[in-house]
Amino acid sequence: MALLEVKGVTKQFGGLTAVNNVDMEVQEGQIVGIIGPNGAGKTTLFSCIAGSHVPTKGSIKFNGTEIAGKRPYDICKLGVTRTFQVVKPFANKTVLYNTTVGAFAKTNRLDVAEEKAMEVLKLIDLYDKKDVPAKNLTLPERKRLELARALATEPKLLLLDEVMAGLRPSEVAEMLPVIRKINSVGVSIVIVEHIMQAIMNLSEKVYVINFGKKIAEGDPHKVVAEEEVIKAYLGDEYVANSH
Amino acid sequence: MKFLSNVPTTHKVFAGLVLAVLYALPLFIKSPVMLQIFILIFFYAYLTSSWNFVGGFAGVLPLGHSAFVGLGAYTSTLLYLTYNISPWVGMIAGGIVAVAFGLLIGIPTLKLRGAYFALATIAFAEGLRVLVENIEKLGPFEVRGPKGLLISLVGNSFKDFQFLSKVPYYYIILTMLVLVLILTFFMMRSKVGYYLAAGGEEPEAAEALGIKVSKYKLIAMAISCFLTALGGTFYAQLVLYFYPKSIMGLDMSYEIAFIALIGGRSTILGPVLGAFLLRPVGELTRIYLGDTLPGLHLIIFGLVLIIVMRYQPRGLVEPVSKWLTAIFDRIENRRRA
Repeated sequence: MALLEVKGVTKQFGGLTAVNNVDMEVQEGQIVGIIGPNGAGKTTLFSCIAGSHVPTKGSIKFNGTEIAGKRPYDICKLGVTRTFQVVKPFANKTVLYNTTVGAFAKTNRLDVAEEKAMEVLKLIDLYDKKDVPAKNLTLPERKRLELARALATEPKLLLLDEVMAGLRPSEVAEMLPVIRKINSVGVSIVIVEHIMQAIMNLSEKVYVINFGKKIAEGDPHKVVAEEEVIKAYLGDEYVANSH
Repeated sequence: MKFLSNVPTTHKVFAGLVLAVLYALPLFIKSPVMLQIFILIFFYAYLTSSWNFVGGFAGVLPLGHSAFVGLGAYTSTLLYLTYNISPWVGMIAGGIVAVAFGLLIGIPTLKLRGAYFALATIAFAEGLRVLVENIEKLGPFEVRGPKGLLISLVGNSFKDFQFLSKVPYYYIILTMLVLVLILTFFMMRSKVGYYLAAGGEEPEAAEALGIKVSKYKLIAMAISCFLTALGGTFYAQLVLYFYPKSIMGLDMSYEIAFIALIGGRSTILGPVLGAFLLRPVGELTRIYLGDTLPGLHLIIFGLVLIIVMRYQPRGLVEPVSKWLTAIFDRIENRRRA
């Protein structure tokens, strides 16, 4: 059984269909990428899985449990945690405080939660900043904090919404091993990303979405060679030229 | 005392000294007027600390907390006047009534953000006051509308929560204040405290981290209403005569908010600092200008608030605690050297 099973999910905002009948599967331990041009509906699909949006149609099963339409905090309790494209740290609180908030998902005790938070901060190389208020962090550090907080809830599946957007190439290169490390401790990951280098590097499988529809899926290196995908990204004439 | 292990020694010593001085003060101050001023400072510090659970930690701005002061006062006094139930018991009953009302208005309004929540609470408080002013009799209870309630003097009696001297009132309210501050201290270091802070600042991110924000806001509201109502009973027993405008009027709600904002929301000592700074101003203008310019103290508070918000938007507790910490560090270093 797949860890996450998305079947026929559609999300409409009034007359606009942002996500159109998408199927998707994530196996335990996988890193799965979702790519597509701006406005393709990646984040909306994501929000449907995380509970921020209720899908208009379709089913989303996590570990066999239907989660479509459940609230974000309930979905988090089941083991699916998301990060936000626009990072939302608790700005006046320290890095440790931010991460401890996440760790409280699995305990009621402050000392246990703080210990868990420190463990997570060590794992993603943010430990030396633990007493710094979140508002004083640099952008790459904030993106990492977003990761740390989500990871502290001990998810089975982590949904990463453009954690590398806005980073410089050297910073992206630093982020990749962090994500691999998270995956290696047994967390499956779905990652939405614009940066192709990152997606190609990380994912075992990608889904390509355009105008809300899935247009391709499979091995990242094969998928990017497909005609539909090139069309979606570069326009029709590039397909014609390549023939 | 494990929970105090990360509090520096100098802080503990300082807190101990302040407490000792405050508890010893009635030995030196004999004037009932002076004692009354201190009692009211503690009373407002207590109310503001209770308010702080919602207004500070849950990140919304309630402007109708006098409604809960009034509910506490009316509940305990009506029970005392009608069934001769001790106000100490009535105090708890008042707390429960306030929690019921608090949840009733909290469930639909706590999802509102910013000014909308503030407006809803003002409307609730004013509505309740007008309602009470129009009730003469409610079942067996003589509410007496705008005429208010008078508790007859029975002399010194602990059971009746009445004392001829101001000193017992002083100790009762000081102890209530200390207890609510201790509760705040523990709350801030608990899951509830962390979740309130998270939900108040970034509700969307908080929900994604497994926090049912509305549930925690309601918990904060319940705690806050309960404690505020206990203060209401205390006030009723202190003044022995009150009417809707005096105990559930908006000026009291505003004063609580002023004290919190000027002192510093979501901190333990902000409300205390605010009360010590603002209450004497309120008392002095009322004593000297009460006949000619009633309400002047609120204008002064408003001006102070504008200045504080301009230069110290997080309240005066921040610079004061920085300054104190610097002094403590110097003492600590000298002690070590």
